[in-house]
Amino acid sequence: MQTLAILAAKLSSSILRCFGRGGSLPGSIALKIDDKILNKLEFTGPIILVTGTNGKTSTANMIADLLSYAGYKVISNRKGDNLKAGITTTLLTNASLSGRVNATACVLEVDELNVRHILLNIPVTCFVVNNFFRDQLDRAREMEQLIESIEKVLPDYRGDLILNGNDPNVVRLSLKAKHSHCYYFGMDMNAYSMQNTNEASEGKFCPECGSKLVYDYYQYSHIGKFHCSQCDFKTPDMDVILNHVNLNNQSFECDNILYRQPYMGMYSMYNCAAVLMVAKYLNINDQEVKKVFSNAPQPAGRNERFEKNNQICILNLVKNPTGANEVMKVIETDDTDKTICIVLNDNEQDGTDVSWIYDTFFEKIMNEHTKSIICTGCRGYDMALRIYYGGYKGNITVVDTIEKAIQTSFSTHLKVYAIATYTALLPTRQMIVKEMGL
Amino acid sequence: MKLKVCWMYHDIMDLYGDKGNMMVLKKRCLDRDIQFELDTCGIGQKKDLSEYDLIFLGGGADKEQISLIPDLLSRKENIQKAMDENTFILLICGGYQLFGQYYIAANNQKIKGLQFYDYYTDTGKQGSRCIGNIVIDANLDGIKTRIVGFENHGGQTLNVKHPLGKVIHGYGNSFDAGQEGFYDGKILGTYLHGPLLPKNPVVADFVIYKSLKKRNPDFKFEDLKPLNETFEKGARDTLFKRFNIGG
Repeated sequence: MQTLAILAAKLSSSILRCFGRGGSLPGSIALKIDDKILNKLEFTGPIILVTGTNGKTSTANMIADLLSYAGYKVISNRKGDNLKAGITTTLLTNASLSGRVNATACVLEVDELNVRHILLNIPVTCFVVNNFFRDQLDRAREMEQLIESIEKVLPDYRGDLILNGNDPNVVRLSLKAKHSHCYYFGMDMNAYSMQNTNEASEGKFCPECGSKLVYDYYQYSHIGKFHCSQCDFKTPDMDVILNHVNLNNQSFECDNILYRQPYMGMYSMYNCAAVLMVAKYLNINDQEVKKVFSNAPQPAGRNERFEKNNQICILNLVKNPTGANEVMKVIETDDTDKTICIVLNDNEQDGTDVSWIYDTFFEKIMNEHTKSIICTGCRGYDMALRIYYGGYKGNITVVDTIEKAIQTSFSTHLKVYAIATYTALLPTRQMIVKEMGL
Repeated sequence: MKLKVCWMYHDIMDLYGDKGNMMVLKKRCLDRDIQFELDTCGIGQKKDLSEYDLIFLGGGADKEQISLIPDLLSRKENIQKAMDENTFILLICGGYQLFGQYYIAANNQKIKGLQFYDYYTDTGKQGSRCIGNIVIDANLDGIKTRIVGFENHGGQTLNVKHPLGKVIHGYGNSFDAGQEGFYDGKILGTYLHGPLLPKNPVVADFVIYKSLKKRNPDFKFEDLKPLNETFEKGARDTLFKRFNIGG
């Protein structure tokens, strides 16, 4: 059965590749033939699992690069196919028919709700958890149930944990992982830390005793330095801590070494902290880490900049309130006159519930520099309504196609910020490229 | 005129953008020169709820919702007084459940409600949830209106004597209920997020009207001057078209 399952995955994968496809189907076929196939694989070297609501693809990719630079032969699900079937595809297409995985390290990004299907089925060396936010709640159900699904498998887990020490939702995992050593990464108080916040929708109560959590400071959302008002649950001592954070030139220090990180925003600093923690864990030196940061590719739709003649356009993907708030902060700091174009879809991958736009502080972009806001997408009117009730005084327009939205935006001759949900990102990007003649 | 609102447990019960409801009430009041005063009431805070024209309670995650139960139950008499003195009450999701007999949380814990009404809430079988866009037809003191929103609840609310409306698309109080929410002239309870009020301006105005009546008994629904509702109409029509139903 085992050989048959691996053979089936390999064959279907090469057939699909001929048609330019891949993804989760080979893994699904293999799991149909032998649903215990993952448990039968043999591995050499570290297996690193990465999960979290935001930043898991960037983080996993940087960790995979790190291990490659350090001399490992790495396999990784780089394209972000992070459900059980996709991960099975990645492993089996890189395995011999006897079940030996042909690599000296595996770095696997795992969807939060799929952790329970992976963590105990392969011999994971360390499990990296970045953050837990509200994300597409209609899919993931409530935060709490998502975390519990991971907590349920932790008592039997034998590997180590690498946790974001500033996220109480993540730190609480340590309470359940009795056999694991926990390593923590985080960020010191800095110029951007806040005493109070209205962004935090999670982490109000202690997971240990249910009392109120008290924050010394917040870095963003519910990420910060916290302690329970009653028991001893608190931000742990950090194994890797970033200080002298500078968001303008995207730099920070760690163990007195200056790093420049590849992405904008506070939240991506934490991705880098996770990479540094893995480097420390595997004794990989800072030169390799610097190489990772300087070679990291800019993914589509993460502050992606387009420029031609005098027209500038910046494209951002938004998929949940926390990520969207970080995008709003970046736009807010730019005080040039601008037009904002928002594409709101409600397909399965966007999240079919659009209420998250009311948990996002679009108010941050409602100022005198935002001359007009153009809305489109299958829920464009919902977006316009959100802006209208947010009290925006400028011009709000709804148009029925992305093409018209981009054309209308460019016709203002101002800098354009385009914001798109998941399924709208590529069509929006293509339209920007077409209209700018790039 | 002035509308005084108390948003209970705003820091705990703020799931699925329910804060949008307060933004809508505020703007629709201010645009008509009605003063709008929003106050909040957290756990342990001393407040006389009967002083307000409107009490609003949204939904929260199970764990967080359970943490406020003792405080809520300690205010039962005061909430009764508010209702007797014509304070209008708007309840979404968890807030709606808590005004009934009890609700069963996802972990099967039975949570006692305020027990003002006979309805009670069981949990969905094997963690099943009613999720998706929903359209209902409601009759609010003679004002017939079609309401749109998004429901996302495991709770199955049963024994509802005065439903808010008839389900046209979606689930409602429970799988196959055919009816959604609760409305008896004093409280309006519903599972509709979305949030509820932005896409349902008639409901928003109805809530304003019912609340203003506390201090202005002669106030009529028609006294609220019409506002521009272009975006509201667009957002509603998007969903009506998708489900092939009329506005």
